[in-house]
Amino acid sequence: MHNTSWHSVGNSMDECIKCNICTSYCPVAEVTEKFAGPKYSGPQAERFRALDQIAAPDHSVDYCSGCRVCNEVCPAGVKIAEINARARAQMAAQNGIPLRNRLLGRNELLGKAGSFAPALANFALHNPLSRALAEKVMGIASQAPLPRWSTDGTFSDWLAATKHQRLRSAKKVVYFHGCATQYYEPFIGQAAVAVLEHNGYEVIVPPQNCCGLPLLSNGEFGAAESYHRGNLARLAGYARAGYPVVGTSTSCTLTLKEEAPELLDLHDEATLALKGATWDIFEWLRELAEAGELRTDFQPLGTDGQPLVLPYHAPCQYRAHRVGKPSLDLLSLIPDLEIRESHARCCGIAGTYGYKVEKYRIGMDVGAELFDFVAAQGPVSLTACDSETCRWQLEHGTAIPSRHPIEVLAAAYGMYALGQRRMIGE
Amino acid sequence: MNDLLIIGAGLAGLTAAYSAAQAGQTVKVIAAGMGVTHWHAGTIDLLGYSADGRGVARPLEATGDLPAEHPYRLLGADRLSAALTDFTALTAELGLPYAGAQNAGDNLWLPSPVGAARPTFLAPAGQAAGDLSTSQPLLIVGIEGMRDFYPKLIAENLGQQGHTARHAFLPLSLLTPRHDVTTVQLAKVLEEPSRLAQLAEALARLVQPGERIGLPAILGCDDHPAVLTRLQEATGVPVCEIPTLPPSVPGIRLHTRLRRRLEEMGVRVEVGMEAINFGAEGERILWVATETSSRPLKHRATNFLLATGGILGGGINSDQTGRAWEVIFDLPLTIPQARSGWFRPHFLDGAGQPVFQGGVAVNDDFQPIHPDGSPVYANLWAAGGTLAGADPIRERSLEGIAISTGRFACENVTPAANPIT
Repeated sequence: MHNTSWHSVGNSMDECIKCNICTSYCPVAEVTEKFAGPKYSGPQAERFRALDQIAAPDHSVDYCSGCRVCNEVCPAGVKIAEINARARAQMAAQNGIPLRNRLLGRNELLGKAGSFAPALANFALHNPLSRALAEKVMGIASQAPLPRWSTDGTFSDWLAATKHQRLRSAKKVVYFHGCATQYYEPFIGQAAVAVLEHNGYEVIVPPQNCCGLPLLSNGEFGAAESYHRGNLARLAGYARAGYPVVGTSTSCTLTLKEEAPELLDLHDEATLALKGATWDIFEWLRELAEAGELRTDFQPLGTDGQPLVLPYHAPCQYRAHRVGKPSLDLLSLIPDLEIRESHARCCGIAGTYGYKVEKYRIGMDVGAELFDFVAAQGPVSLTACDSETCRWQLEHGTAIPSRHPIEVLAAAYGMYALGQRRMIGE
Repeated sequence: MNDLLIIGAGLAGLTAAYSAAQAGQTVKVIAAGMGVTHWHAGTIDLLGYSADGRGVARPLEATGDLPAEHPYRLLGADRLSAALTDFTALTAELGLPYAGAQNAGDNLWLPSPVGAARPTFLAPAGQAAGDLSTSQPLLIVGIEGMRDFYPKLIAENLGQQGHTARHAFLPLSLLTPRHDVTTVQLAKVLEEPSRLAQLAEALARLVQPGERIGLPAILGCDDHPAVLTRLQEATGVPVCEIPTLPPSVPGIRLHTRLRRRLEEMGVRVEVGMEAINFGAEGERILWVATETSSRPLKHRATNFLLATGGILGGGINSDQTGRAWEVIFDLPLTIPQARSGWFRPHFLDGAGQPVFQGGVAVNDDFQPIHPDGSPVYANLWAAGGTLAGADPIRERSLEGIAISTGRFACENVTPAANPIT
């Protein structure tokens, strides 16, 4: 049995056969010359990045968005995106990290801070004057789609308020909500809890940290590691006890599974236990479906005999999960729902990439492929995507509201209002 | 559960997926990465050289001289012809028409990226116009600063072989303000009408009456037929594409159109999935597992088709001890299991090298077999570059084997008796 996946990030560069397939698929290199392309910035430049070298040979690797199209199409198993991520960390270590990147990396802190007075925070962040100032002073693109803090309280607030209604069951699952659900979109977590409970599972929500991905992609590996260790302390026990840990944010679950262990070189027992227990929620639900244990009491989602037409874009992180398109597999079970699958490479936001003033335009140009796809579907009322920042970018680029597939599933179970984004009967 | 799981998204895998989907089966394709379709010239090489190293003029007629275990012999002449006809019809329907030599049944002889005459049987219409069997003079036009395309070398080499050819350069700035571009990026640039018009004007000024123009294969991605027509109308002469070093735009066009058609037919093609394991019960394979970010993912199906390619495609691996193995099912191989047996003393030996001639041995139904001839698994088939009995690089038969065995390997595969969805 041979497989290339055992290769460490660094060693995988030796598998590169210089075919340039990655460069020809790279959505960033296609729209800007500032990024030389995955082959050059990845396995090729890596040869010059010996640890004792004082300066990294090229700064264009900073323009890699980390979308991982390169990893997907590489026939030789080179871990190009990871090579690039490490190179960015090396640059950050050498050149320092701008305040802007430090801020963008601190999702949890920002989320918490704004949640004390969300309405005020929304006004402070979203008025044109402060956006202009943020661009000028911090380099955060004034048009980029920043989220709004939830004014209905956090996801934890909702859990506490509905404690008496929550299902108790012998079958239990741990839910990792991530920062976006906690502070900006608690309704995603509500939909997830509803779907899991509807299938007979009690949902455990332990206290948790940011997964650390925004820090990893901005090259702050040290800070990312302390977040990861925080999560290990709170979640590894459940993993060891055999509970699945499911998440609705495809980036958070990817970080727990692979990004943190691989980029931070963590191979301790707790990290591996959590890696082995973590699932994307649809990846996990698909297993239930394949075992014949998923409830299929779906209500049709169409109106007036017309099916609901839903353009669906699988986020780049699914590419990195390497689990196919599990939400597509499940949504296709819902009657009266016509999914239109996007084959666009990337929406362009790539985590925090598209928020940076020097990269905003690149992000929008990369996303044009997706926005054009949605426009070509005719008039639609909604789109769907599993990742929060991708949904925000999708809304920004198309002016059409976007939903997480778990909201669609909860709606198909008759428990969730897809338009108003709230639980029915609460 | 799918009726058929195909491992490999090269020409063999995609052709097989199309045939099976057309026959009403539910099909999924998984592949480790983009493969040979992105390297090869986009042509269908059928049989270019015979065992004694001489060029083959009429390949279909010459297949009778191949060894009995060659995939073409296992298929038989009728099925091989039918596969070629089907491929021509399919690509025409996909809007990417292929053509053969003017004298039906002959090989085309097309200019290679170094100006050699390369035998192939079917080529995209744009490349077929470069057939060196006709004596029309060639103007080879390169783009200054474009990597790995050398018009002077091509023209000189063609000249030494008795063809009339000259070369010219156009500046990269005519097409793009960028300084460093790939073939794919250039091809997309030429889908912009204003850039295309600039190229057309420049070519019209360069070309002399009676010539045909040879350009690197960058004439549009999805809009290739329109780009080609526009250039021919503007210059009034035939325009042909000459394949480039990878990434190969003609190969990508074929891959993209085939894959899109499959997706329209409901076939899921999942790339970036590396098969690492499988499970079997008795003589039936139950699942193939791929590597993920956490736990292996099992893909269950009633039947399985191996289309992972040979040593080049990654379907066969080897190590320094001389061991060679098929990477997923560890199927019996005909490759010598000692390094001393891999190569003949001479690098360019006309008889080829044994290591490239071996592969997965199959029966008449394209089921992998043990040395005694019995099938290894009851529900496993194989197609394309992984097959034993051929020497695709020396013979120039890689794509011919892929589309013909892909077309027919699953012909006798029966879908699930009680499909579970």
